[in-house]
Amino acid sequence: MHELSIASAIVESVLEFVSVRRVKRVFAVKLAIGEFSHLEAEQLRFCYMAITDQTPLQDSVLEIETVEAVVRCGKCSYRGRPKYWNDALSAGAIPTLQCPNCGAGVEIVEGNDCAIKSIRCATEDNEQESLKSKTDCR
Amino acid sequence: MIQTIEASPDETYDIELEHSLLEANAQLARENRALLDGLGVTAIDVMGAIGSGKTTLIARLVERLKDSFGVAVFNGDATTSTDAELIASQSVPVVQIATLNGCHLDANLVGKALRKVNLEKLRLIFIENIGNLICPAEFPLGSKARVVVVSVTEGPYMVRKHPHMFLGAQLVVVNKIDLSEAMGVSVVELIEDVHALKPEIAVIPTSCKTGHGIDEVTAALLAL
Repeated sequence: MHELSIASAIVESVLEFVSVRRVKRVFAVKLAIGEFSHLEAEQLRFCYMAITDQTPLQDSVLEIETVEAVVRCGKCSYRGRPKYWNDALSAGAIPTLQCPNCGAGVEIVEGNDCAIKSIRCATEDNEQESLKSKTDCR
Repeated sequence: MIQTIEASPDETYDIELEHSLLEANAQLARENRALLDGLGVTAIDVMGAIGSGKTTLIARLVERLKDSFGVAVFNGDATTSTDAELIASQSVPVVQIATLNGCHLDANLVGKALRKVNLEKLRLIFIENIGNLICPAEFPLGSKARVVVVSVTEGPYMVRKHPHMFLGAQLVVVNKIDLSEAMGVSVVELIEDVHALKPEIAVIPTSCKTGHGIDEVTAALLAL
């Protein structure tokens, strides 16, 4: 359940941002998870929902996108998608550190991180504007 | 009465952040590593399932190395101090890291443990991670190498079921090989699975109970 640690880190980071930037409400937090990271999206959403309850982030959505893995081979200079291990046991293909070109060991260039890409939010300023425009309509 | 207004989607901002969630731990891990490197101390992170033989492996290695130079052990355990007590019986410094509900050690906890020992008297620290094959992989601790212990008693599919753990490792120990026949689990196939994931990694078959392969593990760790 390291999803809970990650969800806590998301909430801490966003709450800190909210307090600094006069954010009134957060609608969505966009997260990018690397293919090589071992996070389960559904569990992460559940943890996020559970710990944002009763906080300024309540009802905000965690949007998760996967960052495709890129590897580099020191032996044959291959750079690109990793070799996948298609195993009957696994739900999806497993990215490996074997060069798809020459079979040597490769290093990970991309797809190892988990990062908050952006936050969709309303600030105090832009919400006042929306109130004004509604008054004008009457 | 509370009146609420809500911004509609076209009134909201998308603010770019690019904030890595793993970076805070990674930074602390780099600090731990710098501290250790500065004093010439090597930390080895030992990972593997509960019952794979992490503690027994560490006990065997400590037995072999403690008379040559300073060795300490950090035992990560969610609840008990069983492992810490076992190692402490060898009269080496032991720090028990109780994670309570935590499923992995992190660089912050290891940093705290580093402040509990006299690093100047040490050359090697074994860090026994929590018995878990998923979560610890995401959290570097500042060790020079990560060792994964997998035993034949965990069945033939252990490696392919938990590939992530092996991708970040520098050494794999296949333990309890004395039981492979009884278990009907092929040591060769386990090693092949590891190499399918990470072609050049060293894999050493052991029986920590009989002492088989411990010399090889010792040599591999000293060569780091």
